[in-house]
Amino acid sequence: MLKKSLPRNSIISNFTNKVTDKKTAYTLLATSMLSLGLTACLPNEKQDAKVVINKNPYPSTYQALPAQSTLLTNATILTGTGERLNDADILLVNGKVSQVGNDLSADNAKVIDMSGKWITPGIIDVHSHLGVYPNPQVESHSDGNEMTSPNTSEVWSEHSVWPQDPGFEAARAGGITSLQILPGSANLFGGRGVTLRNVPSVTMQGMKFVDAAYGLKMACGENPKRVYGSRKVLPSTRMGNVAGYRSAWLAATEYKREWDKYDADYSAGKNPKAPKRDLELDTLMGVLDGEILIHNHCYKAEEMAVMIDLGNEFNYHSGTFHHAIEAYKIADLLAANGNCAAMWPDWWGFKMEAFDMVEENAAIVDAVKNSCAVVHSDSASTIQRLNQEAAKVMYRANENGFALKEEDAIKWITANAAKSLGINDEVGSLETGKNADVVVWNTNPFSVYAQAEQVFIDGAKVYDRLDDKYQAKSDFLLGQNLDNHINKSATKLITK
Amino acid sequence: MKNTQLITSLRYALFGALAVTTSQVHAESVAITNATVYTVAEQGILSQATVVFDDGIITAVYSKDDVPESLSADTMIDAKGRILTPGFIASGNLLGLVEVGAVSATRDGSDKKADITFDASLAFNPKSTLIPYARKGGITSSLVMPHGGENVFTGQSFTVNLSGEFDSVIAQQNAVIVELGSKRKGSRAMSLQTLSNKLEDAQKALAKIEKAKTKKKKSKNTEDKEAKTPSRSEQVMYALLSGEKPLLAYVDRATDILALLKLKEQYQLDLVLVGASDAVLVSDEIAKANVTVMMSAIDNLPSSFDSLHNSLNNVAKLTKAGIKVIISNSGESYNINQLRFDAGIAIANGLAPTSALAAVTANVADSFHLNAGRIVVGKNADLVLWSSDPFEISTKVDFMWINGNAMSLRSRQDVLRQRYTTDSSMPRGYTK
Repeated sequence: MLKKSLPRNSIISNFTNKVTDKKTAYTLLATSMLSLGLTACLPNEKQDAKVVINKNPYPSTYQALPAQSTLLTNATILTGTGERLNDADILLVNGKVSQVGNDLSADNAKVIDMSGKWITPGIIDVHSHLGVYPNPQVESHSDGNEMTSPNTSEVWSEHSVWPQDPGFEAARAGGITSLQILPGSANLFGGRGVTLRNVPSVTMQGMKFVDAAYGLKMACGENPKRVYGSRKVLPSTRMGNVAGYRSAWLAATEYKREWDKYDADYSAGKNPKAPKRDLELDTLMGVLDGEILIHNHCYKAEEMAVMIDLGNEFNYHSGTFHHAIEAYKIADLLAANGNCAAMWPDWWGFKMEAFDMVEENAAIVDAVKNSCAVVHSDSASTIQRLNQEAAKVMYRANENGFALKEEDAIKWITANAAKSLGINDEVGSLETGKNADVVVWNTNPFSVYAQAEQVFIDGAKVYDRLDDKYQAKSDFLLGQNLDNHINKSATKLITK
Repeated sequence: MKNTQLITSLRYALFGALAVTTSQVHAESVAITNATVYTVAEQGILSQATVVFDDGIITAVYSKDDVPESLSADTMIDAKGRILTPGFIASGNLLGLVEVGAVSATRDGSDKKADITFDASLAFNPKSTLIPYARKGGITSSLVMPHGGENVFTGQSFTVNLSGEFDSVIAQQNAVIVELGSKRKGSRAMSLQTLSNKLEDAQKALAKIEKAKTKKKKSKNTEDKEAKTPSRSEQVMYALLSGEKPLLAYVDRATDILALLKLKEQYQLDLVLVGASDAVLVSDEIAKANVTVMMSAIDNLPSSFDSLHNSLNNVAKLTKAGIKVIISNSGESYNINQLRFDAGIAIANGLAPTSALAAVTANVADSFHLNAGRIVVGKNADLVLWSSDPFEISTKVDFMWINGNAMSLRSRQDVLRQRYTTDSSMPRGYTK
């Protein structure tokens, strides 16, 4: 399919969707809610049942796969905490990392000699569209970009996830154990992202990372202004983009104030009328409440700086900047403000906002104290080799004055990625008590020849390159090339 | 050297008119000594070998024991055992035709009106910022393949070197491109039928012309009407039928591949399959027909119903079946420097390293008649000296020569990085 490959992030659409003037709609809504707020009831009235927003209506049903205590020995271990242990062992018990160190022993544990192998934490991709832009890339499957309004905060990517996307299996073979599935970048607010465990499952819920925060996808720059500008709808410019964000956060601020007042009044024994629910504003309010993390497609230095101020203006944290091609220009600012920057090593050029790529981007960001440099994929292909994506950054940086080691670079696709997703208490490093997400590599994972040999999630083996039993296959690929003939011995049985 | 004369004449024969317009300074003679030379030719891999080139052409390749004592050249380079390979040859891209994908005014790779005569080489921009960046991946030349228009015949490819000079175009209109297979609107059958009919018509017309010629000769009647001069498109079709121009066919599904093999046999086409996701299903047939396959080494997902058999080991499988494979980058041209990593991934999935090297050098050169792709006497001095294993991420290009000229490995990205990593009391804009 050489001819059909397109530059990443290009938005392919005929733009035939009818324009809905959503902005006007929610401004009116906010006004009407404001008047509702004024009719709050008197104290001591009999209270109606309290209206509570269910924040987890599609809960995870994830169960770890069957596991046994496992002791992997004699490997080179990159812990994800900046450490490298040579000739070391790691013990996985009850789905957790029990111990990491030299000369470990354990009763009742299956001991596997991993001499010559390398072990890393499970690889985490903070930016994926697996399941929402699956393969085969046919119209019927194109569920990743709700390109019908510049603000679609009400959509949740989890409702588009096709768990049979063969890309999940391919990513697992590349050591991916957790990943965030984001909506696309056509809209200023693209909707909620969901963090998944990369286990085979018939349902999205069966993959859902337990208690991981939702993400809210925002997008800066060329995509929103191109998509909506061509429809003569705001935004058609970058200033239109920012006006769009600000209008939305204003409405969300009002919405939150109403709900806070409702909760306070109710707690005070009053019987207030609950504000009218709005799915779009529910999501934005989640951000203002600090429950939903911002994941902002934003390439350029000056735009990231504006987005940081925007967060301060409306009192939320501007989160992680994705595809942050120009992060190296403002590495200090990002670190000072606690932003993660998720970057490619070398995707560039397909848009003006991707023109100022440097291969050392992640290394330059990483060099600042308190930084959070992440290497991400946004691709069903490179997600299979995120280790090599990190390797490119490391080696190009080292050719240009850096002195990065494997134990440093691995953090970009493990610990820092976990931090970006708010799951760093559970995963991202090999430390006692952390979830036992482990990848065993046949060689140094920063080699082009590296392949994940075994992958563990919560201590359970989910992939083994050398054992077909641990190689899941998507329903879609089943039976696509069956043998049309039966062998002769089988015919004999029938004719008997 | 005694065969200098021969080589010089060879060079002029090869470059023809281009040599006249060349603006390049005459390259000095260079001897690279003590190199591990991957010749991609009969000599195989030579350790502690010496390669000499003069005036842009390789003039000698000495194995360890054959190095003459009196060896001299303008420049002597001790490779210290490092690997020297032919420059890599990219293919299937829009290098020099697209600067920024999303800026439509910088896209010259397609045109609605484009047909079989479409010559995008006229739009090639040797000053594209993508070219120095591509060199950093060891790429010295490329087969550029425009996407053309809505016609089954989308135009013709051309070859360039990556010198960044105005005389970069090596050959214009060197192969005809057709796009077959699944379509969003309409049927793939129509594309195949169109191709088949055009070939048939052209063959008939050609036969008529031949007949007219012989008739004319026989009768010697000067009053016989001159045979109608064939149109530009007809001339291209005739070039296809004579095998003078290869046919580059984008195709994935096995049925389409088989249909093309049939056409190849019927019309004696010089066929190259491009994409060829399903090639593994019909590898025996392809091998038997002696057809080259140009494909991505990393497209392993079932991206369409035409490519359900994509796999990381397809290149290895096809090579094993005896098929000449060209590894080509998928996508546009920003990252063609990753060709070497794609080849490395193919190696990690079963391809022999020497086959991987041939897949990005000699195999491309053979198919498109480039005087490059091997380290043998007479070939262009398009060479890369690597810090280590060419396919490995930790490796970099240490030196590169195109037509014997040492090339810069600095791209716009390096300048940017330098600006933002250099301490200065002044705003960054002053760091240049």
